[in-house]
Amino acid sequence: MSTEGMTMTVKSQSKNTLLENFKDESLRRIQLSPAWLAQARQNSWSRFAEIGMPTTRHEEWKYFNLSSLALKALRPCGESPIKDVKDVKEYLDDQDINIVFLNGVFSEEFSSISALPKGLIVTNLSKILEARADELRDMFKRSSVNDPEPFVSLNTALYRDGAYIRIEDKAVIKQVIHIIHVTTPDVKDVAVFPRTVLIAGGSAKASVLESFVGLSDEAYFVNAVTDIHVGENTTLNYYKSQADSMKAMHIGSVRVSQEANSQLEAFSLAVGSHMARNNISVSSDGEGTDSILDGLYVLRANQEVDNHTLIDHRQPNCTSHQLYKGILNDQSHAVFNGKIFVQPIAQKTNSYQLNKHLLLGKDCRVDTKPQLEIFADDVKCTHGATIGQLNEDEVFYFQTRCIGREDAVRMLSRGFVDDILDKLRDQNVRGKLSRLLLKKISILS
Amino acid sequence: MLEIKNLHAKIKETQILKGLNLKVNAGEVHAIMGPNGSGKSTLSKIIAGHPEYEVTDGSIEYEVNFKKINLLELQPEERAREGVFLAFQYPVEIPGVPSSVFLRAAFNAICRHQGAEEMDPIDFDKYVRSKMKLLEMDDKFIDRPVNVDFSGGEKKRNEILQMAVLNPRLAILDETDSGLDIDSMKIVAEGVNKLKKKDNAVILITHYQRLLNYIQPDVVHVLYDGKIIKTEGKELALKVEDRGYDWLIK
Repeated sequence: MSTEGMTMTVKSQSKNTLLENFKDESLRRIQLSPAWLAQARQNSWSRFAEIGMPTTRHEEWKYFNLSSLALKALRPCGESPIKDVKDVKEYLDDQDINIVFLNGVFSEEFSSISALPKGLIVTNLSKILEARADELRDMFKRSSVNDPEPFVSLNTALYRDGAYIRIEDKAVIKQVIHIIHVTTPDVKDVAVFPRTVLIAGGSAKASVLESFVGLSDEAYFVNAVTDIHVGENTTLNYYKSQADSMKAMHIGSVRVSQEANSQLEAFSLAVGSHMARNNISVSSDGEGTDSILDGLYVLRANQEVDNHTLIDHRQPNCTSHQLYKGILNDQSHAVFNGKIFVQPIAQKTNSYQLNKHLLLGKDCRVDTKPQLEIFADDVKCTHGATIGQLNEDEVFYFQTRCIGREDAVRMLSRGFVDDILDKLRDQNVRGKLSRLLLKKISILS
Repeated sequence: MLEIKNLHAKIKETQILKGLNLKVNAGEVHAIMGPNGSGKSTLSKIIAGHPEYEVTDGSIEYEVNFKKINLLELQPEERAREGVFLAFQYPVEIPGVPSSVFLRAAFNAICRHQGAEEMDPIDFDKYVRSKMKLLEMDDKFIDRPVNVDFSGGEKKRNEILQMAVLNPRLAILDETDSGLDIDSMKIVAEGVNKLKKKDNAVILITHYQRLLNYIQPDVVHVLYDGKIIKTEGKELALKVEDRGYDWLIK
């Protein structure tokens, strides 16, 4: 199979209400943008119209049925007042550098970016569209021309504002940079389009956490895009935490390019949303890069999460390591699709992929698919997947030691995910994500 | 302390216990011997409350603090909190859960049940380590996931550690001696002997007389085809060792 397959698109005949409902919004965004961005938005909108809404006949969307989204009368999210400031503050930690967006709009009130450490820029995109035009144009280029991913095009066409983070050469940022996208819809069936640009220069070091939280139980649609560039010899930790409303649909794409000898630790935690799709693609554009792509999902009721990872090894002597783990209960459904490409030049690649599940319910379902396409001959690539069920002998053993079934399930679930959390390099983020995860685990059984 | 009357039990469609009677008083050590398949492990699992076995007739009465409890009405964890402890013949591996966490959760469940205050992690750590020392266990052991990658002997020793920590009223040891070398067996036996008090009781299920050299039973039973067919003092174990079971069965 050739890599061409990746960019293949399937024309869809299915209804796409987004095109009708967001036509005006698209024009408005174009009008409000500087020339270079207006062009990108125009191209992206045309691209989205051309590709259309993917259906389950499309290989990449086989298990993620978008028909409910295609039929919904979605509209742009208006600015809705926060009912209780405490709801937002709960997610803010004074120790961090926080940049907060409410329904896709930058919130000066909740952000703490006035006194930043040396070598760090954190601001909202709208402020720097002119000043940083060249750099942004380069970052956006990836998503405006022939992008295979319709929801990246859609976001480019429609995003209102976003986060811009720049870590200068040699800067070592000790505080966590926390981007928080809060969705608190005024009415149901609204859509938000969070956008993030994260650029780390050479020999720098930083940890970035991007959180998606929902403050209502309404149904809404989040379509997020995060573009990341990791400079030479830089260590970047990028953590994504998705805890949207249990009725929401979340489709997020993270795209990373890594320069020589850089280290990336990317981790994705998915506990929210009725349906969530996480795409992450990493391109090793320099020699000697090291990429960790880990993920965790904890699902109950009829939640669905679909993780698509792609590592494109384009240079020699690179390593990548993927570990995705999921705990499923009730009728939940998890999909994992892990692509590893090793280009002809990328000799001495060492790539590893593992996808593990713990099934607590009898009606949950997992579809897992490794996809390795290797065009170099001196490489080491391994992959595997496991599905374990709750073992009744284990539960009985707990019970004979005074621990009831619910606590046993909690302890086993926690035991299942602890190794992946313990690995996270940033202690502060590890603590935050552990707390969020434990809350979810505590209501699993 | 424990009185089993006319116990009948089956697993799926196979009848295993067929009218078993057993009475154990506080302060006593009982040994239950018997050929393979006679129902020894089944008896221990039923006392502990394994959900796969169905009790079709009979009763198990358990007396604790002058209060009589129908054990069959309790969930396994409730029985455990009342002081019933089963040392497994094949201890189960619990991946991802360190022994320290597991033991503390078990211990604190008993504290809560008794209305006592839970022990804080530091005090508990000291308490567990003192027990580990008695059983000559390695310090690192407590941080490892329960029974995962333990040798057969380590698993058995871990069962005895759990028993020592939880300090049960009624301990049932299901073939704890099998798979143990002689040194480990001595240590395990010592652990059991330390537990022996006037208000505790121990039931040893064993194939061999060997263990009984180190733990002196007050009463020895022979279980065959789902019933106790012979009950005597400790000399019965020697007779069985010498002559096998045939003379009892015929």
